[in-house]
Amino acid sequence: MNIKFGLKKATIVLTAALLSVNMSAKAGAVYDYIKANNELMIATDANWAPFSYIDDDGVMQGFDVEVGREIAKRMGVEARFITPDWDVITAGNWNMRWDVSVGSMTPTASRSEVLNFPAVYYYTPAAFAVHTDSPVTTLAGLNGKTICTTAASTWEMYLQGNLDMLDAPAFTYDVTPGTITSLKDGSMCADDTRLGAGVRNDGFIDSVPMIQGAIEAGYPIRFLGDPAFHEPLSLATDLGNDDPELDAELARIIAEMQSDYSLSLLSIQHFKNADGSSEDYTVAY
Amino acid sequence: MMDTKTNIPNNTEMTPVISLKGVSKWYGDFQALSNIDLEIKLKEKIVICGPSGSGKSTLIRCLNRLEAHQEGTIHVSGIELHERMKDIDVVRQDIGMVFQSFNLFPHLTVLENCMAGPNWVRGVDKSKAKERAIAMLEQVKIPEQADKYPEQLSGGQQQRVAIARSLCMQPKVMLFDEPTSALDPEMVAEVLDTMIELAKSGMTMICVTHEMGFARQVADRIVFMADGEIVEQNSPEEFFNNPQHERTKVFLDQILK
Amino acid sequence: MFVDTVIEDKALHKPAFLIGLSLTVLAIFFALNFTNSLFGEFLRPVIGDPTESGFFGRFAVSLVLTIIFVLNLFAISFFKLKVQVAIVWLELFLLFLAFAYSFDLKMSFIQSRIPLMITRGLFTTIYISAISIVLATVIAIIGAIAKLSNNGFAYAISSFYTSLFRGLPLLLQLFLIYKGLPQLGFMVDAVPAAITALSLCYGAYMTEIFRAGIQSIPRGQWEASRALGFKFNLILRKIILPQAVPIIIPPTGNQFIAMLKDSSLASVLGVWELMYLARTLGQRDFRHMEMLLTAAMIYWALTIVLEVIQARIEEKYKQKS
Repeated sequence: MNIKFGLKKATIVLTAALLSVNMSAKAGAVYDYIKANNELMIATDANWAPFSYIDDDGVMQGFDVEVGREIAKRMGVEARFITPDWDVITAGNWNMRWDVSVGSMTPTASRSEVLNFPAVYYYTPAAFAVHTDSPVTTLAGLNGKTICTTAASTWEMYLQGNLDMLDAPAFTYDVTPGTITSLKDGSMCADDTRLGAGVRNDGFIDSVPMIQGAIEAGYPIRFLGDPAFHEPLSLATDLGNDDPELDAELARIIAEMQSDYSLSLLSIQHFKNADGSSEDYTVAY
Repeated sequence: MMDTKTNIPNNTEMTPVISLKGVSKWYGDFQALSNIDLEIKLKEKIVICGPSGSGKSTLIRCLNRLEAHQEGTIHVSGIELHERMKDIDVVRQDIGMVFQSFNLFPHLTVLENCMAGPNWVRGVDKSKAKERAIAMLEQVKIPEQADKYPEQLSGGQQQRVAIARSLCMQPKVMLFDEPTSALDPEMVAEVLDTMIELAKSGMTMICVTHEMGFARQVADRIVFMADGEIVEQNSPEEFFNNPQHERTKVFLDQILK
Repeated sequence: MFVDTVIEDKALHKPAFLIGLSLTVLAIFFALNFTNSLFGEFLRPVIGDPTESGFFGRFAVSLVLTIIFVLNLFAISFFKLKVQVAIVWLELFLLFLAFAYSFDLKMSFIQSRIPLMITRGLFTTIYISAISIVLATVIAIIGAIAKLSNNGFAYAISSFYTSLFRGLPLLLQLFLIYKGLPQLGFMVDAVPAAITALSLCYGAYMTEIFRAGIQSIPRGQWEASRALGFKFNLILRKIILPQAVPIIIPPTGNQFIAMLKDSSLASVLGVWELMYLARTLGQRDFRHMEMLLTAAMIYWALTIVLEVIQARIEEKYKQKS
């Protein structure tokens, strides 16, 4: 995040803007820059274990982070992580601050207006969780209740009834919440839910592995019913700096990681169930 | 003592150092000075007096252009004071001014107050400026207070420091704007003594004051003002013994009672 | 405040006040209901199971708390002022510790994260704040002089600037700079964007402080300086600003303290400063309170350091004048 670095990029953005009439970068500009600078800037969350988090030594860890490192390695460049807020990433218009999002982003129609989705790399179920003392036993029991979720997430879209996922398994809207509480991240929802059923919310929706982690950490919460829907999770690049060459390279690397099972291996390493078994989320439903 | 060049050309005793012709000044609709004509020669001592609100302070503050006049002309040693002039600071360096409320710099010691002018604007080096400051403090008889801050001094001492501070600039003219009005009665004399000494040394002085004893003793000429006009000017003898105007008589009756 | 020479009787030593106070405190404690807290546990031998003690238990707990509270005040009232201050500080601090203790904190967790909080988080926070403080001060001096000048452009620009940047929430400014400048072709990363926003925002507040400070110097100082033939720059530098500084210091110190804490807004841009790490480091183990309280203590300690520095500088100027 040094200034010199920013200036260099600014020059490229500026040059690109001057050269091309439609204000988008010349094809291949981002990928060329990555190669020239020998560095892949990866945007991801730092607040979403076990997908991505900061360990005790201040190093980024987690499934998404490992995938990001592997992509950079196969590209032949260094990986560097940057951790802006989730809604800043999904809003697009990155101005080349980072090159790719390896942050478990579900492709949706609305997001595809500002972002490209070069490769889906795994699939997770999303589920509702409630306090262990909650009287609610079925998903329908949450109708009209207060549900918490992460702002600008697919779970929020699900609660709002406007989840426009691309290439996703069919699903139904099983819950019609009375009030939606959208917070910065899912762990804040979990913190609210553990205060008691109906205290700040009646439950929250997040990815199954995240809820699993909270339960293991001793949170008094439980899964409610079956997963609400399954979402494909993809890499994302900036449509504003459209670079087919970069997208093709990312797609090639993910396909390669799927065929040599390195992606499955990472999933098994990171996603453990309470009974000690592991999950391979990289297989499509 | 004249080790630095002065900015105002030397005058002979006959030519005026300061001359005003038809000077008028307004504050909004209120006319503070109307049609003032006045000439002051080198080494002359002028006392300006008059009831409060008569414009005497305004007049003296126009002489170094702390106030702007709107009509007429003011010349200081042949240089006209006007709003577009480039070198007002150069003219001001040669005109010392002593204020009713002293206006010493509270964050500087007495010595630093006196050294500031010569050192910062005249370009006198520090040791020389200090030498001169001490000499001037001796002249006003408070060299022992040199390292104190102004607020540690009495009013009379502060006013003497203010005089010394002006003298350090080696001015050609000294302006005094009611220098004793803010003082406790017992301190008036020490300041007036200093001013009398200064007058004896031949300084050109213009004093706005109500101290008629001082005026009688020192002034070459007394200027009496009322309602922004010069009502009469005369030698002290004539002024006190044979006032020409009714307003002058009323003023003298009140002040000498 | 300036204390009168006549000492009034202590309110606490008047029976009527003591009774009124006791009843009020009793009512408050009763309304807040501490029966199910630690205090209820202490009184278990008297009231039995706190959850089933009902009205009697609630009243008994409130009464005991009230007696402790009022006796404490009454006892403290007999000490000298300095001792009173020390005792009350200590008691409030112990209450704060009890508050923190009630979260069942895991100390080993805090210990393992503190090095990162300090080397990375605190360092970044201080780094951002320090640069912003210097820049804001420079902006404020220029802004104040421009605002006091007769130059129409300077006045218009500076008054527009203070109006705009005091009129927008800091977070909004941060986003305008972070997202807006790249659209104009100026690429700013998160840290420079945060520094720019903090400097501009606090520069605007401090412009007003500096302007007021400069204006509070009596007109006579300008006149005396001019009468000696000083030019504008010299008057400002040697006469006005040195006198304005002691007046400016207390409100400026306040601004510095506020800025130190507002630097936490950089966390929304993903800068790994103190607040960001406080929110993030507890995440994997779902131990958020540990990290938040640790960050709270670090911010507080930093603020106390700044307060001490400010007091020292004020003292220095007091001695000089």
